[in-house]
Amino acid sequence: MTPNPSPGSGTARPACVLGRKDSYIMKKHHKKLLLEMVVIVLIGVAAGIAFNFRLLRDAATGTFSRTEAGPVIAAADGASMNPAPLAQARELLERNEAIIIDAREGSAFSEGHIKGALSLPIGEFESRLKSFRATTPVHSQLVIYCSGYGCRDSYMLGEKLIAHGYGRILIYEGGYPEWKDAGLPIEGAAP
Amino acid sequence: MTPETRRYILTALRIGLGLVFLYAGVLKISDPKAFASSVAAYKVLPYFFNYLVASTIPWIEALCGLLLITGYRIKATSGLIAAMNAMFIILLASTIIRGLDIDCGCFRQGGDKTSAWTAIGRDVIFLCVALTIFSARGDRRFSTR
Repeated sequence: MTPNPSPGSGTARPACVLGRKDSYIMKKHHKKLLLEMVVIVLIGVAAGIAFNFRLLRDAATGTFSRTEAGPVIAAADGASMNPAPLAQARELLERNEAIIIDAREGSAFSEGHIKGALSLPIGEFESRLKSFRATTPVHSQLVIYCSGYGCRDSYMLGEKLIAHGYGRILIYEGGYPEWKDAGLPIEGAAP
Repeated sequence: MTPETRRYILTALRIGLGLVFLYAGVLKISDPKAFASSVAAYKVLPYFFNYLVASTIPWIEALCGLLLITGYRIKATSGLIAAMNAMFIILLASTIIRGLDIDCGCFRQGGDKTSAWTAIGRDVIFLCVALTIFSARGDRRFSTR
């Protein structure tokens, strides 16, 4: 729309036109800036996905990468060690389709653990293995947890168990903190 | 302050912030699984998205750092860094409100825990620096290009 200058105001029209031009340039500049930001983000995302393609594929399918799990997995024929989210761990335990194992220290286990969990601290693995094997068949589906994301004990215990013939292992990565926060059944915790 | 001094200060801030982001990005790129654990500890994303964020955010950080250091697309990069820092501050504040005692996962994964308050303080400084660079005017070499 063309601006209508008021009668007698000789400078009104040029000022108005200049304002519009400024506004147009500003909008164009902002659009360009936004576009540059989007391009930077897209390049970063594309590089990240390309570089971590295997990890993302494994996370999406629930298959733990052999390279991540280490050589122990490859040594055990048909063995698998996969990460399990809360929903999967809960479903398996509710259906009694898995044995839940606590890889934390005995003291942490005593202070509270997932209901029905067996304590098998990574530091006492060798001494407890015999009694563990006597009660837990090697073909059992095991769900191992420790102190949540960032805790590696469950993975280390999983590798040790695979080396001793156990082949069906899930790592519940959220561990005791996530389970407790979700209000799911626990034992041994102070009220 | 003379324009020359101002220019030097802006350059130092730009390169300093760039180095910080490049360092943070590279550290996390080297161990995406550990960073995914840190992201998951915030308890805001579904399972797979923890891995997706952990796989991509460090690359964006490293790229922004590199662009700031080289001085290419400074305005867009500093704007992006400011936006990321604002997002980090909100996330960290949410952990305090929700009573989560977690490591911020900002730089090296594992090791000594960095409290949310410390991380927020650091991010506020980065946000101020990014906004200073973003709003710098009058010198094309240090502002919009």
